[in-house]
Amino acid sequence: MLEVENLTVSFSGRDGRAVAVDGISFSVAAGETFVIIGESGSGKSLTGMAIAGLAPEGARVGGAIRFDGQDVVGLPDARMRRVRGRQIGIVYQDPLGALNPVHTVGDQIAEALRVHGLARGREAMARAVSLLERVRIPDPARVARSYPHQISGGMRQRAVIAMAVACNPKLLIADEPTTALDVTIKAQVLDLLRDLKAELSLTTLLITHDMGVVAEVADRILVMYAGTVVEVGPAASLMDRPAHPYTSVLLASAMMAEAPPQTALTVVPGGTPPLGAMPEGCRFHPRCPRATARCRAEVPVLRGVGGGQAACHHPLVETPEDAL
Amino acid sequence: MSLLSLSGVEKHFRRNSKAPQVRAVDGIDLEVGVGETVGIVGESGCGKSTLARIALRLIDPTAGRVRFDGQDVTEDGIRAMQPVRRRMQAVFQDPLASLNQRMTISQIMSEPFSAHGLKPEGGVEARTRALLENVGLGHIDTGLRPRQFSGGQLQRIAIARALAVEPELIVADEPTSALDPSIQAQIVNLFLQIRRERGVAMLVISHDLDVIGHISDRIVVMYLGQIVEEARAADLLAAPLHPYTQALLSAAPTLKARRARSFRRQILQGDPPNPADAPPGCRFHPRCPLARDRCRSDPPALRTLPDGRRVACHFAPDETLATGQETGRSRLGLGAVAPALRVERRGAK
Amino acid sequence: MSAPAATFRAARRIDWLAMAALVVVALLAVFALMPGVVAPYDPIALDVVNRLKPPSPAHPFGTDEAGRDIFSRVIYGTRYSMGVALAIVAFAAVFGTLYGVVSGMAPRWLDNLMMRIVDMVFGFPALVLALAISAAIGRGLDSVTLALSLMWWPGFARLVRGEVLRLKTEPHVETARALGLGPVTIMWRHIVPFVMSAVNVRATTDIGYALVAVTALSFLGLGATSPTPEWGLLIRDSRPYFGSAWWYLVFPGGIVMLTATACSLLGDALDARKGA
Repeated sequence: MLEVENLTVSFSGRDGRAVAVDGISFSVAAGETFVIIGESGSGKSLTGMAIAGLAPEGARVGGAIRFDGQDVVGLPDARMRRVRGRQIGIVYQDPLGALNPVHTVGDQIAEALRVHGLARGREAMARAVSLLERVRIPDPARVARSYPHQISGGMRQRAVIAMAVACNPKLLIADEPTTALDVTIKAQVLDLLRDLKAELSLTTLLITHDMGVVAEVADRILVMYAGTVVEVGPAASLMDRPAHPYTSVLLASAMMAEAPPQTALTVVPGGTPPLGAMPEGCRFHPRCPRATARCRAEVPVLRGVGGGQAACHHPLVETPEDAL
Repeated sequence: MSLLSLSGVEKHFRRNSKAPQVRAVDGIDLEVGVGETVGIVGESGCGKSTLARIALRLIDPTAGRVRFDGQDVTEDGIRAMQPVRRRMQAVFQDPLASLNQRMTISQIMSEPFSAHGLKPEGGVEARTRALLENVGLGHIDTGLRPRQFSGGQLQRIAIARALAVEPELIVADEPTSALDPSIQAQIVNLFLQIRRERGVAMLVISHDLDVIGHISDRIVVMYLGQIVEEARAADLLAAPLHPYTQALLSAAPTLKARRARSFRRQILQGDPPNPADAPPGCRFHPRCPLARDRCRSDPPALRTLPDGRRVACHFAPDETLATGQETGRSRLGLGAVAPALRVERRGAK
Repeated sequence: MSAPAATFRAARRIDWLAMAALVVVALLAVFALMPGVVAPYDPIALDVVNRLKPPSPAHPFGTDEAGRDIFSRVIYGTRYSMGVALAIVAFAAVFGTLYGVVSGMAPRWLDNLMMRIVDMVFGFPALVLALAISAAIGRGLDSVTLALSLMWWPGFARLVRGEVLRLKTEPHVETARALGLGPVTIMWRHIVPFVMSAVNVRATTDIGYALVAVTALSFLGLGATSPTPEWGLLIRDSRPYFGSAWWYLVFPGGIVMLTATACSLLGDALDARKGA
C-alpha cells in the first residue's frame, strides 16, 4: 500500500547539508495502523510531511515513496495535490491552524468534496453534516454553520478529522493528533480514531511521541532516533520485548505511573543530538548504557531481532543468529 | 506547620469592560507544609497556573489571603516581598522563554545573588559551578547563551538558578510539559533528588497526572477554578472519590492498562465549559454521570472526610467509593473499568 | 517539540535589495561627511553664463537659474536634509523610548495620563506647529528640526509602551520578578534590551519619512532659506522652470525618493533579521 524506500530529507545550510531523515525504509500494509514514534529531532514529522508531499521549503527529499505502486517523489505539485486530497487525508497537531478562519466548518468540508468532484451544491453540504455526525459531533448541523474559533479545541480536531476522511482516502496521516488536547478530550479523539479505523477500514500512519497513544492503537511500530530507524516491528512484541535500548527508554519514560511513587525513574543521560553534530557509529551510543567500542565506530544496520528488526550491535533481545 | 497557605483565594478577569467576568480562580484554600510536595492537576482553563502566580505573588488575588510561613504577604509591596522571594522560588514551563536570551549562563546564574545581595563563600563563580554540577550540568560552558542548549539542559539551568538562594519552597508550573518524554523522566528524577537532598517544599502544577502522581505527597484536583478533590497521593490514585478525578484517572491509564485487549476507558462527554460561562450548581454536573437535580442548583461544598481527604461532591464517598476503587485498579490494568461509570457514547457499537 | 529544521539554521539568502539600500545609505553618509571630495563645484558659486544648462559631462545633473551645478548642490544638500532628518529621529527615538518605558512600567493611572498626552500630541497638526514655531523663532532649518522633533516622538513612545506591556508578561520577566529582582533591574536588563531591536527598525524606516517631511516643509517655504542647498528648497526653487528645465526638479526629487526608499528597505531588512 505505502512503501518508503531509502527516504532522505535534507536541508542545505551554511555549514553544508544537514540530513534530518537519513535513509529510512518501511512499508505500510492496507488496513493497518502504523505508528512512527520518536522525540523531537528524530525526523518523524518530516517523514510524514514528505510522504504527504508537504516537505517544508528548502528541504530536499530523496529516495522513493510508492503509494499504491506509484512513486510520488518529485511528482509535480498539481498532480501531488490530487493524490493528497483524494487518497491521503491529513490530520495535524494544531486543528486551528489546519482550518481556514474565514469559512465555516461545513463550507470547508463541502469545498473538499466539491474540489474532488465527489459532490455538488446542497448535496456537498449535506454530506459535510453527515461527516461531522460520523466523527461524533453533537448537533452537527450547528457546528457546520460555525466558524472554527466558535467551537472548542476537541470539536475542531474532530472537524479536521472529518475533513481528512471526507474523500474516503486510502491513507490517513495523523501527525500528533492528540498532543495539543486536554487529557479528557485526548481520550475522546483517540477512541474516535480507533472506531473510524474499524468503520472505514482506514490505513493509518500515526506520528507521535506519546507511547501511551501508541499502546492503544498501533498494529506495527517504527521507532526513530536522530533521523534513523532504530527499531521496527509488531506492536505487541516490540512493547513486550524491546530490542533496542532506546525503545526501552521510551517505554520506561511512559511507565512513570507504574513505577513505585517518588523513586528514581530509569533514564539515560543527555538528549537527541542536534542536526549537524551526529555522533559517529551508532547515533545513540553517547547515551546508551550498553555502548561498546564497536558502537562508537560502526553504524549498526537493521536486522531481524525478536519479532521485528532493530539497528543495534547489542540488542536486549536475542537475535536469531545468537539463538543458533 | 504550613509554609504556604492560601485561603479563600479568588481571581476574576475581565477581558474588557463589557465582557463578562471570568472567575479563573474561585475560592481556593490550600496549604503546603514544610518539606512537603503538593501537586495540582487539572486541564487547561481550570485556573491552576493563575493559582501558581498568585502563590508567587506575581499577580494579585481579587480576594483571599496569601500567607508565607505564618506571615500575611497578600498586600506586601516589592520591598516587603524581597525577603519572602528569597525563600520561595519559581520554575516555569518553557525553559527557553523563561531565561533571558541575551545573557550568558554565568550572567543568568549570578542574578539571584545580586538580587538578594548574597555573597556566597568562595565566590559567585564557584557557587554557580557547584549548583550546575548539582543538577547534572558540571561540564557546560557558562559563557554560552540559552539558545545553544537543549530544552532539558535549560530546565536544569532554571532549576539550578532557583536553588541558588536556597529557597524553602519551589513553585513549579508545568515544569516538564515542554520536554520530550525521555527528558521529562530526567527532570522528574532531578526534582526528587533536590527534595531528598534539601528537603525543599514544592508546589508542582501540571496537567500530567503521571508526573503529579509520581512526585507528590498530596494531590489537589482542580476543575473550573475550584478544588474538587484533595487527598494523599496514594489514596487519590487508589480510589478517587470525585467523578471528575475518576474521569481524569481513567483518561490517563498506565501503559499496561492501555495495552490490555479489554481496555475501554470511561469517556467524559463534552468539553470543559468556558470559565466565563460556568454552569450553576456543581460546575461539573453537565459532564457528570452521577448528576441529579440537586447538582444542577446546589453547589457542593469542599467537605473534609473523617480520614482527612477533601471532596466536593454531594454523593461522595457513599456512592463514589466503589467506582473510585475500581477506577484506581483499572488504571493500573488490574481490572475492568467500573461499569457503573461507563457512559454510553452516541453512535458507539 | 519543534521540527528539526528549526534547530538547523538554513543559510540566509542574500537580500540584494537590502544590499543596494545599504550602498545608497553608505554613499549618502560619504556625501554628508565630506561633500567637498565628491562635488566638482562650489554649491553656491554663481556662473550666470551657464544658467539652466541640461545635464552634460561637465554638469551631470545640469545647472540651475543661477548657473550653479545641481549635482554639487544635491551632494552638499545631503548634510542639511539628512542631518535634520537624523536629528529629528534621534531625539524622537531617545525621548520616545524613555517615555514609553516609563509609561509601560508606571502604575495604571500614570500610564493612562501619559498616553492621553501622547494622543494629544498625535492629534496636533504638524503644519500648524511648524508655522507657529517659525513665526516665533524665525524661518529656518532650526525651526523645522524643533517642530518635527516635537511631533515625532509619540510614535516611538507608543511602540515602546506596547512592547514593554507585552514583555512584562513574558516568562523571562515573570521569572525575574519571582527571583526577587527589583523593578529597575528588570527594566534595564530584561525589558529594554528586547525593546531596542523594534526601536532600531522603526528609527531606520523613520529617517526616510522624516526626510520627506523636512523637504516638504522646506518646499512650503517654512524651512531652509536660500542659498542653502537643502533638497526641499531645491525642489521649491525649481518650480518656475519645470516646463523648460526638467532636470532641475527631477534630480533633487529623485534623490529624496531614493533615500526614503532605501531607509524603508533597510528597516524591512532589519525587521526580518530580528525575526530570524
